[in-house]
Amino acid sequence: MYGYGFISLWLIGTVLFFLIPLGKSLWYSFCNVSVDPGSLNTEFKGMDNYFSVLSEDPYYTEYLGDVLLETLWKTPLILIFSLFIAVVLNQKFRGRTLARAIFFLPVIIATGPVFRIINGDMDSTGNAGAEQFSTMFSTDLVGELMQFLGIYGISDSVSNFISAVADNIFGIVWNSGIQIILFLAALQNIPSSAREAAQMEGATAWEYFWKITFPYVSPFILANLIFTVIDSFTNPMNSVMNRISAMRSQFDFGEASAMAWIYFVVVIIAIGLITAVMNRFIYYENN
Amino acid sequence: MADVTNAPKIKKADEIGNGMSSREAKRRRRASVSAEDRSYLRRKALADKVWPFFRAVILIGLGFVIMYPLIYMISCAFRDRADMSDPTVMWIPRHYTFQVIAETIDAMDYWKTLGNTLLLNIGCSLVQVFSCAITGYGFARFKFKGSKLLFGVVIMMILVPPQVISLPLYTQFRYFGIRELFSINLIDSGLTMYLPAMTANGIRAGLMIYIFRQFFKGMPRELEDAAYIDGCGPFRTFVRVMLPNASAALLTVFLFSVVWYWNDYYVSSTFFTDTKTIALMLTNLDNELKMNLFDDPTVQISPRDQIVWKEAGCLLSIAPVLIMYVFLQKHFTEGIERSGIVG
Repeated sequence: MYGYGFISLWLIGTVLFFLIPLGKSLWYSFCNVSVDPGSLNTEFKGMDNYFSVLSEDPYYTEYLGDVLLETLWKTPLILIFSLFIAVVLNQKFRGRTLARAIFFLPVIIATGPVFRIINGDMDSTGNAGAEQFSTMFSTDLVGELMQFLGIYGISDSVSNFISAVADNIFGIVWNSGIQIILFLAALQNIPSSAREAAQMEGATAWEYFWKITFPYVSPFILANLIFTVIDSFTNPMNSVMNRISAMRSQFDFGEASAMAWIYFVVVIIAIGLITAVMNRFIYYENN
Repeated sequence: MADVTNAPKIKKADEIGNGMSSREAKRRRRASVSAEDRSYLRRKALADKVWPFFRAVILIGLGFVIMYPLIYMISCAFRDRADMSDPTVMWIPRHYTFQVIAETIDAMDYWKTLGNTLLLNIGCSLVQVFSCAITGYGFARFKFKGSKLLFGVVIMMILVPPQVISLPLYTQFRYFGIRELFSINLIDSGLTMYLPAMTANGIRAGLMIYIFRQFFKGMPRELEDAAYIDGCGPFRTFVRVMLPNASAALLTVFLFSVVWYWNDYYVSSTFFTDTKTIALMLTNLDNELKMNLFDDPTVQISPRDQIVWKEAGCLLSIAPVLIMYVFLQKHFTEGIERSGIVG
């Protein structure tokens, strides 16, 4: 019974500020909502909003596809990058504290309006991503590099992908703060006995990474994966979110709610799939 | 001189033991390791030499990507507006000035806004940390009917984007009360932030409950058992025994909470129409500038020229959290490891 006592405060709040609004927004999504001074009038019309959002809205499905695609290719890059940086920052070297402080800095900035302005200003002055570094030296550095490595001509899609990654290095680095912290915490939990055993057996750094580090951090790969996916889906800057806010400011509450709910279902399905797939590859020490 | 060279060297321990010269010992040792091991050792020695260099290059390069906007901010905020369109000015301004900063402070009503924001943020964060800790403890230690289902609701809170519920929440606060009995308009009052925070439903509360649940699960049960034996009830045990032990986690979560509240502009822009917070002022900086600086809402400033003020505004609005970060960096980064999100 004491359990209820501890959670009662939260329970009241959740019913008031989460469950009721959530239910209301679900209800709105099935309704024609009109705003009168002092009240909201709802008129039930079934699945109409959903159909019109999916088939008639000129932007919604396109944006939805964009966001899914972007999440799909950015998430693995963020994970690989943050794991790599965490492994590096876990080593002993001079200036490590400073390096850590710099790499965690995005954590305190990247969620706010400052980041939006940073991004926006860089676009408006032509300083974004790889271009920004290229214009500094007034050449297309990424292109030159690929030419130099001889991979420019191989295939358009490969070189497009590489320049997309280079263009987005800013976004990737700036969205990896929390992930780096979590991975670093996981790395510090690897028992020293495992490291010593690997050294005795003469494991190379490469083998050590795949045989020791990777299994130990694998539960965190799942946690980070889910965190990254949620972060990317709920980012107020992504185009679906902007579309929903735009609909809302036009007082199209019914359609806005329908959009939000479709989006929410897609997110849940995506996260469910990820968890189901990843759980088969994860090593849990206690099992 | 000859005496010195002829004088018997002090022998190393193994030489004394085996009566071998040092060179022979080295040769023996080398013969005892297989070719495979030798190549391993050679590679390891090479990697040990080359890796620090690569590491430095990678860290400095990526560190620059992270620091770039900050350096750019500082560079822009202290330069004259004319320098923005001067093509020879990239990083180092030609005309230094504090005027832009002063104008931005004016336009943002900075000190008052800062006071408002600090009061709201720290208050909400404090309240929310405690309400989330209590809830997390309840989920971590007590089994009750429906606890799994209710924890599912917590997970939902993490997953549902605030945009989904913001509109009904707005009407909830606009007509707060019991239907047809009484209702108050809470819009624009700090209560729109405090009430959810008090009941563990503020910004990212789901995540915080989750963190605290993990943390309290990881704490040894003996602590509570000892308190129970001494005759403490569960609530007193929580306040007197568990909370003091959780102080490091509390501090870390509190700091993150301050940052999240600081950076929030979606929730606050929904509920506040004239309450000033730093994040809101920054998003409206364009208009405020036009009103305060030029006394003319229709004036057009070219986007390039606006950058100086925008960057100054950015600098001003992250300065407080940045200062907090510099001094409390250890708690941000090491606290997470201790706060038990790990296990």
